[in-house]
Amino acid sequence: MWIRFPNCDRFGAGELSVPLPPPFSPLRSAPKASSKPSRQKQIPRSLALSFRASFTNELIAGKITGVKHRIFLCMIAMAFPAGADYHSVRGRLPAVVSDGIIEGEWLPFGKDARSQDMKVFGGGWSGDAHLLWHGEPGHAMETQFSVKRGGRYSLSLKMTKAIDYGVFTIRVNGRELRKGVDLFGHKVEPTELIKLGEMELAAGEQQLRCELTGKNPGAKAFQRNRYLLGIDYLKVMELDPPPEPEKVLPPAVDTPDAPHTATFEFLQPLLAEHCYRCHGEKGKIKGKVDLLRLKSKDDFLAQPELLRQLNDVLEFREMPPEDETQPDENEYSKLASMFSGYLGEHLQKEQSLPPIVMRRMNRYEYNNAVRDLLQLKGDIYPLPEKTIRAYRAYYDPASGSLPDSIHLGNRALGKNQIEQPLLTGVVPFAIDLQSEHGFNNRGDELGFSPILMESFLNLSRSVVESPEFDRYSARTGTLFRAGGDRAKWSATARERLAPFLERAFRKPIESATLERYARLFDREAERGDFSAAMKTTVAAILASPRFLYLLERKQDEEKPLAPYELAGRLSFFLWSSIPDEQLLAAARDGTLADQEIYSMQVARMLLDRRSKSLSENFARQWLRLDRLITAVPDFERFEPYYARIGCEQWKLGLQTMVEPLLLFESIMVEDRSIMLLVDSNYSYRTSDMSSWYAPGVPFKGKANPNRFNTMGVVYQRVPVNNRREGGVITCAATLTMNSSPLRTTPITRGAWVAGVIFNKPPPPPPDNIPEIEVDDAKIEASGQTLRQRLIAHQVNQSCVACHQKIDPLGFALENFDAVGRWRDKYPSGLPIDSSGQLFGREKFDDAVGLKDAILANPKWFMRAFSEHLLSYALGRELELADKPAVDDILREVLDARGQFSVVVGAIAKSYPFLHRSNALESE
Amino acid sequence: MAKSRNLSRRSVLRGAGATLTLPFLEIMSGRGQAAKLAAKPPIRTAFFYIPNGVVQRSWHPHDEGKGYTLSPTLKPLAPVREKCTLFTNLDRIKVAGTDGHAQAGACWLSSAAPDELSPAGYPLKTTIDQIIAAEAGKHTAFRSLELSCNPYEDNRESVYFDNISWYGHGHVARSLRDPQRVFDRLFSVKEHAAHRSVLDVVLNDAKSLDRELGRGDQEKLDEYLESVRTVERQIERVTKRQAEFDKLELAPPTKPWQAMARDEFIQVMGDLMILALRTDLTRVASIMSSPERWGTPLMVHGLFDKPIQHHGMTHGQGNENVRQDLERLDRFHVEQFSRLVAKMDAVEDGDGTTLLDNSMFLLGSGLSDAALHICTDLPVVIAGGAGGAITPDRHLKSPAGTPIANLWRSMAKVMGVKRNRIGDSTGMVSLS
Repeated sequence: MWIRFPNCDRFGAGELSVPLPPPFSPLRSAPKASSKPSRQKQIPRSLALSFRASFTNELIAGKITGVKHRIFLCMIAMAFPAGADYHSVRGRLPAVVSDGIIEGEWLPFGKDARSQDMKVFGGGWSGDAHLLWHGEPGHAMETQFSVKRGGRYSLSLKMTKAIDYGVFTIRVNGRELRKGVDLFGHKVEPTELIKLGEMELAAGEQQLRCELTGKNPGAKAFQRNRYLLGIDYLKVMELDPPPEPEKVLPPAVDTPDAPHTATFEFLQPLLAEHCYRCHGEKGKIKGKVDLLRLKSKDDFLAQPELLRQLNDVLEFREMPPEDETQPDENEYSKLASMFSGYLGEHLQKEQSLPPIVMRRMNRYEYNNAVRDLLQLKGDIYPLPEKTIRAYRAYYDPASGSLPDSIHLGNRALGKNQIEQPLLTGVVPFAIDLQSEHGFNNRGDELGFSPILMESFLNLSRSVVESPEFDRYSARTGTLFRAGGDRAKWSATARERLAPFLERAFRKPIESATLERYARLFDREAERGDFSAAMKTTVAAILASPRFLYLLERKQDEEKPLAPYELAGRLSFFLWSSIPDEQLLAAARDGTLADQEIYSMQVARMLLDRRSKSLSENFARQWLRLDRLITAVPDFERFEPYYARIGCEQWKLGLQTMVEPLLLFESIMVEDRSIMLLVDSNYSYRTSDMSSWYAPGVPFKGKANPNRFNTMGVVYQRVPVNNRREGGVITCAATLTMNSSPLRTTPITRGAWVAGVIFNKPPPPPPDNIPEIEVDDAKIEASGQTLRQRLIAHQVNQSCVACHQKIDPLGFALENFDAVGRWRDKYPSGLPIDSSGQLFGREKFDDAVGLKDAILANPKWFMRAFSEHLLSYALGRELELADKPAVDDILREVLDARGQFSVVVGAIAKSYPFLHRSNALESE
Repeated sequence: MAKSRNLSRRSVLRGAGATLTLPFLEIMSGRGQAAKLAAKPPIRTAFFYIPNGVVQRSWHPHDEGKGYTLSPTLKPLAPVREKCTLFTNLDRIKVAGTDGHAQAGACWLSSAAPDELSPAGYPLKTTIDQIIAAEAGKHTAFRSLELSCNPYEDNRESVYFDNISWYGHGHVARSLRDPQRVFDRLFSVKEHAAHRSVLDVVLNDAKSLDRELGRGDQEKLDEYLESVRTVERQIERVTKRQAEFDKLELAPPTKPWQAMARDEFIQVMGDLMILALRTDLTRVASIMSSPERWGTPLMVHGLFDKPIQHHGMTHGQGNENVRQDLERLDRFHVEQFSRLVAKMDAVEDGDGTTLLDNSMFLLGSGLSDAALHICTDLPVVIAGGAGGAITPDRHLKSPAGTPIANLWRSMAKVMGVKRNRIGDSTGMVSLS
């Protein structure tokens, strides 16, 4: 299977690198040969996608193959056995293209044809599959493909040969392009690329016809007088494409080529057939959606929220309900493109950005901002937010690789440990809680109160006055030490305060502001102590709203942010902190408005160690990992969960919490694909955790009370050889935190997957929740599995409708018990049913199947991840008006197959990130 | 029943524990001029929140009026029943389609009408404690005191689950959950004075910002400005009482809250609240005995030998065993309340009355039957006589469908706040 990737062909498959500077890509390099699949070395100025082949035999044997840049995608079919980089090449997209590759298995086909999985034949087929057809001489296989533009095209076919394949004549639009194509071969293997030639094509649908004309004398019939045809892919290349047109406002859908030409009148019969019965007819209006009332396109355009719903419902096949007759694929896509076209039209006309309420720094950001402003050696107070406490700094994106072996302090993993203060007398304020489906950086939820004011007053003073401060800060000499004789103090202070204030407030400093703080200094300096007076002044600056809030000036129309404001947004997005001098300088001289310089800043900042905040602040919250801290698997039933026999305080669980975060950090540092978060072939584990994932009894032979060292532990990068492991969905941490003490909770797990992986959090549960036993042993004693019990409790249609969407996502993980260990059966011996269907479309049998289904539709996860990150970057909830921006981001992310820096870059240059809403309209 | 943990509590709140025996006048000698002149001690209002409702069958007594029979769950009130009043048939607004539990806590004390929804979709506006505090806070160093015995170190739920007190739409009065910080806030006077010069400067800086901001941002800035002004007032008023506090020889609680058992945590927080009320540092307080929902397993020492999930249990109460466990937990909460009530009744408050006599200390929850997220017939007990405004030891059953806002109006009136309407109120609940 191929991700559609038009660029590839232009460079020619097989080339190793392309000197192409993608706008948002930190410098990365190709992997070097090494015994570890994970190692990469930086090669300056060559921009390449890091990727890694998975567990092919070659890799395990230590052979490594690699290519640079995105071109990899195009060559994988040739350079690798198919399936090598499995999660990178699993992406499936509809085969509607104008220029590029069209997978055979995605061509429309009729009778006597099917798609066939070719992995068993040793790989070599693009996407591991081809289109297989059989017929008698004289028969023909017919199919269609589309091109977007009229023009001259070069066409070629990659086919399959084997002993029972026939000889064919190939026609396009009736014109014979090639005859006598003999697919006979002694082995089942792909053919070379067969050139069909060049021809003019009009925009729109084209006919491809393969006529079976005969057979090679050596060929054997597949069935009596029947021979086979196999199409791996069709390659369509536009010759002399017209220059790229000026970028117009993109359509609001993520299938940019999907036509939405069908008129409402044309498609209304489909609505009548499938929708009206529940949504309008005979007064029946389910879910408050009355479609019968909407009689024209304009009626729909007047209801943008409904259009969004309709888009979602069609995208995720939520309607009609499973037990009703379903529209066919063709009808589905026609309806979907019509409504997404409507939505796009509405958004182009009405688009207006939701306001961003000025937001206060949260506890994590405040620490970072004070640390960076005063150039401190480290944090100002212990932050439980930082799940990982490193013994030695290990996070360095500029190195291009996360170390194989990372030594972490385990004490810090347990928030129960009383932490030593870093600066004597500095007491943090309470953590700000996360929004229901978002992050703890939202202006509307970050309030201010007298208690906080007291905290900020105490904090700013106690930081600068703590006995350790002078040694801890690099500004002691340049800011706080008395300069010259007393008469010059006031002038010196002004000289020092002007740049300091600019940095602290992230704004050009007006003289009134400077004077306000300088006069405070003058008053305090009367006591004769320069340093003390400066400390009081700095304490005041740290308590000012100009420091504590992310401020953006009001404006009367929607327009780009001022450079300083953009610098602030960017640094809080990537570093959870204030801009550094470089970024501030670019704001000061206005060059930040230059797209190229802006891109370079983004790339530079991602290479800075401060980008670790994306793991500490974003990833932790996105995954809702804090839940693990208080997970309490039953002490007796899950005794191995506890690290110290007889002691509930020490949990293995707190070790597993680090695993998904280190995976995330490796993706950042090595600039890998975010799809590895779904399915990765490596992970970071301690030796004790490895025993957790291994079959059999963990801690075997460790009957001593202290099963592992609770002071420091080493996380090793290990290959993950079983696809049921790897990624964040099936790691022990998330599985455990979404379970209850005595059993798994598939609905909680399902809701977590829906919210975190697909950004489709289920609505709040209804009031009449039926009860289920808290102990699965009791359920199983009745002869029922948990799944059967849960289904039996869906008492009415309204339960079923919702649970159909959530539950399969949780049941898929039923093979993992309440602490994330694999089990083939329930303890009682009852079989586990982990099969289901993803969004009514992708059937799967188990957790691996669920991952495959996600990988096969990468845009679902890529969209969700981008939305989460965009919402984090903006500090607000996303709204309908953000959809076009998200579509833009998604397009880039899909193109880059989820490369992390591209995701971040696309968000940083997205419309809502660069613009400020109209303050007046927002009221 | 929980084991008594007096010993460890005393060691935690050493100084504070000792002050509980100090006679009223000694403590109050430095009370503000206004209070000295007033013949009667001030009335205090406090709220004690229990999350996730109560088991209905064991909550409701079968009889009404004076001398009613305490129901099984209310049994722990027996020692103080003469000073308690049970209210039933009081209902809260519920907005469908938003989270039942977030609403239960955050909107419990709200004064929003059914058609006034906050940005988050909840009927959430200035809560009754803050309406009262706006008036009562004129006389005290602290306008109000918000405490939460939230024992969870994960951040599973949002701000709506951990707070019952709101200054207004989207403006939370964040609760404190660290007893040491509560103590420092109330009594560490010398810290405060140093902030004066800083406060002046940042207040001016904030004011100069005003013209740069859009309207939504101005509201946020107002939160900041109001906080600065409040802290200025606090500093001024607390400083005046410096000498008085020095005499009390109070020592802060030293045991970390993370290490406290449930009952210990609640009692320590309760002690701090009582200390603040009796020293007249504030007249309005609230305590969440536990946050709303928060489906995290929790050890309740002395009650269950394994961690329990309160919220999960409420949805499992069709099972008789689960329901009985839940009833024990409900009784545990009433017991904690009852112990605090008894402590308040042991504090002399002048004129031969006790602190309790001059208080309204209300126990309640934002749900009645949590299994179905029901918001009618909420559990409500008020301990205390409100300076004579309440005639206690009765079960007052309102007509079906009476808004709980009617009770809020009655309480506000006792506190000297006159409002014709609070939320969906239709009148007042008779207290005497």
